Amino acid sequence: MSAGLAIAFIFCVIFARFFYLQVVYGETLVMRACDQWNREIPVIAVRGTITDANGNVLAGNLNTYSVFVRPNAVTNTEYAAIVLAGIFDLDLDGLRSKLTKKGVSEITLARNASAEKIEQLITYDINGVYFARDNSRLYTYGDVLCQVLGFTSSDGNGISGIEKYYNSLLAGTDGEILYATDIIGIETENNAVIYSPATDGSNISLTIDIDIQLAAEQVMKEVYNSSNAKSVSCIVLDPQNFEVLAMVNYPSYDLNDVPRDDSETLNSLSRNAVVCDIYEPGSTFKVITAAANIEEYLNGNSNAFSTSYIFSSSRTRTVDGTTIKCWSDHSNGKHSNQTLADALNNSCNPCFTDIALSLGSETFYKYLTAFGFGNVTGLDFSGEAVGMLLNETAVRDCDLARIGFGQSVAVTQIQLACAVAAAVNGGNYYVPHLLKSITDASGNTTEIQSVFKGKVISEKASSILASMLEGVVTEGSGKKAYIQGYKVAGKTGTAQKFENGSLAAGKYVSSFVGFFPSDNPQYLALITVNEPQGVYYGSAVAAPAAKEIFEDIIAIKNIQPYE
Amino acid sequence: MVVFGCVMIYSASYYTAEVQYGDSFYFVKKQVIGAVAGFAAMAAMCFVPYNKLEKFKYPAIIIAAILLLLVFVPGVGVTNYGATRWIGFGSFTIQPSEVAKYAYALFVAAYFSKNYKKVKTIKGVLPVLAVGALFCLLVILEPNMSITMCIGILMLALVFLSGASIKNFLVILVPCVIAIPVLIIAEPYRLQRLSAFLDPWSSPLDEGYQLIQSLYALGNGGLFGVGLFNSTQKYRFLPFAESDFILSVMGEELGFIGITLFFAACGFIIWRGFRIAKRCKNRFGYLLAAGFTLVYGIQVIINALVVSGTIPPTGLPLPLISSGNTSLVITMASMGVLYNISRGG
Repeated sequence: MSAGLAIAFIFCVIFARFFYLQVVYGETLVMRACDQWNREIPVIAVRGTITDANGNVLAGNLNTYSVFVRPNAVTNTEYAAIVLAGIFDLDLDGLRSKLTKKGVSEITLARNASAEKIEQLITYDINGVYFARDNSRLYTYGDVLCQVLGFTSSDGNGISGIEKYYNSLLAGTDGEILYATDIIGIETENNAVIYSPATDGSNISLTIDIDIQLAAEQVMKEVYNSSNAKSVSCIVLDPQNFEVLAMVNYPSYDLNDVPRDDSETLNSLSRNAVVCDIYEPGSTFKVITAAANIEEYLNGNSNAFSTSYIFSSSRTRTVDGTTIKCWSDHSNGKHSNQTLADALNNSCNPCFTDIALSLGSETFYKYLTAFGFGNVTGLDFSGEAVGMLLNETAVRDCDLARIGFGQSVAVTQIQLACAVAAAVNGGNYYVPHLLKSITDASGNTTEIQSVFKGKVISEKASSILASMLEGVVTEGSGKKAYIQGYKVAGKTGTAQKFENGSLAAGKYVSSFVGFFPSDNPQYLALITVNEPQGVYYGSAVAAPAAKEIFEDIIAIKNIQPYE
Repeated sequence: MVVFGCVMIYSASYYTAEVQYGDSFYFVKKQVIGAVAGFAAMAAMCFVPYNKLEKFKYPAIIIAAILLLLVFVPGVGVTNYGATRWIGFGSFTIQPSEVAKYAYALFVAAYFSKNYKKVKTIKGVLPVLAVGALFCLLVILEPNMSITMCIGILMLALVFLSGASIKNFLVILVPCVIAIPVLIIAEPYRLQRLSAFLDPWSSPLDEGYQLIQSLYALGNGGLFGVGLFNSTQKYRFLPFAESDFILSVMGEELGFIGITLFFAACGFIIWRGFRIAKRCKNRFGYLLAAGFTLVYGIQVIINALVVSGTIPPTGLPLPLISSGNTSLVITMASMGVLYNISRGG
């Protein structure tokens, strides 16, 4: 009976195997199988809108739908083809062949179909035709703020800018309708339909003020045209809490007509240069050097210069065997007998060399770090650049001497704007931000508060510096930004561009950082003109733009003169 | 059992049948015809004294061989799913390899009962091996690996049961074992199936597909099943749900409990078969009963192992249950013979 035993044994093996498959492993198998048993129709969550600080919609949604067909589930192909072609203006023959093609599970018949067309479609009640709301974005202002807002992919995912950074907030969670079907997608009769609703995305509002943004866009567009620059940028910041009020990069592109086919153009046009690109700032950086000196002087550091100290009138300084020259020739009494305030007015390079060297790398770097150089500001935006700041241990005196007036250092515009804002607002450094509030699908609103990062200089030092910078505008290189009665302060900058490690002849970055009123700054703007043709001094190219933007802000906010 | 088979076939196939043939009873109707013929054959065999079958040993194998050869005659052989396994007369097809299994069991039983002393020598066993090898060769050319193996195992088991010495048995066994890998390598599709068996998830759309679908069905069944007619996998996900893989649908609809009861019934048939064989005083009856029981048992076991993914997939019907008339009629006939043997002729 050994054969009987053998068969009994084999049956035991079979029982064990079936027990394992059906009882032990069963649930795992069912999980895997669910995928093939059901077809799902997405229930698209409505993407949250993006508004400015005052609730003006910057990015909203078109109320449109996508229409799908499962050819296998269509009962009367000819009828369906005629009706569908009629509603969606499709080629009848093409549609007919699509519907009869074998081996196709699902075809997308139309995207961005209007609600009226969907209503028409519903009246026909054709088997195998489905529709789902899609998220076609509509950007109210087209190319305005385009690099900041960014855009979404055709399936509604943020792929650049705020759309990408806050995608998880905006997107919400799609739901789905599950239909049980056979292998090729025909609904089966014991058709368990499962409906899981979508959770709509949150609406977000930005710190951007669209009126200021529009004004800045207009001004920068004019600067771009008149200077024949390669590109121009501008950031307007609230210096009291580092909320970004406007951010302009020009040239730009239309968010409603994204040049997706030309990735090179798109890459350059969609780049938020204010945040993602670095440049050598030049003289605007002197604000930071001056701030460090004033604070150290007030703290009793004997290496710092008093505000009445008269700097050497020589045009040159020799450091580590290299000669550092002022941009001015110092002839005919120019740049002579200068105090710190005069040095700022004249933007005299050697004076700031003296400060940097006298403070020494340890002290000076303490301030550079506190002012946010060598690190990201933490703005809520993807791809922020760090900038380039030589390591403190590697910095030579000849480097330190140049950093003093904004060379041998590279920064982002957001870094510089924040540093200057902290230097003049009483010495408070915040994390800059674009997000003002979030309103979730159930209507709960969360306000975003500015995050305080640290005290960089004292109130007193800040106020001394601010009044010196007001002098730059009233009597120094920043005169073209002067507005009667509004206490505009600021600093110009003109930096030669480096390309491949050496100075590029005739290529400049002209800039101006300004704010008003100087004794209680409410608005701060940094204007950057990249490679202007012809006149290239920041005082001539950038300062007038700041003035125009400030005038527009004064008009928009109806600000009365301070004096 | 047969009625249960018809119900299961209906459950497993009505959807596919309706979609493909516009008649949800398509497979069931065929099966009922087979069942009627099967009952007739079974009844007849109950009353034909089994000893008379001994005379048919040569006609049986000759007819079987001719049928097997007919498969290769163009116009008569019917090719389905890449294998020529059927011969057709109009819409009626039969699968000769099903006949061959039983014919061979009959032949071996008759031969050894008459020449039982020869079984001790290799030379004496040779005719049995020769016929076995011939059948295997013809079936493998169709190609039909699973029935080849079925006949091979049957051959070995019968030689063993006939009382061959262990030494001689081993002499026969070794070349057979060697033949398996050779056959597998000879046809690339078998190798693919083998690798799919080892890791079905690596090719879920190709070779591993059928096995995965079978496992899904079993998994979905769980302990108690989803209930008769409620299988999801039969919605054309599982190929051959009404024939080779009907056990998967049974597992899904009736659960582990149902499968257990079914196997218990199968086990009972096999146990009864062997008891009939053992009790039979007649050497021919003993071998014939054992042989027919083995044919049935081997098929049930291989099918169960295939469906549960324990051995690589081969196309072998589950006797008495799966759709397929040749198998049904001849298996029922063999049951009739077993009954007759139990009655002592």
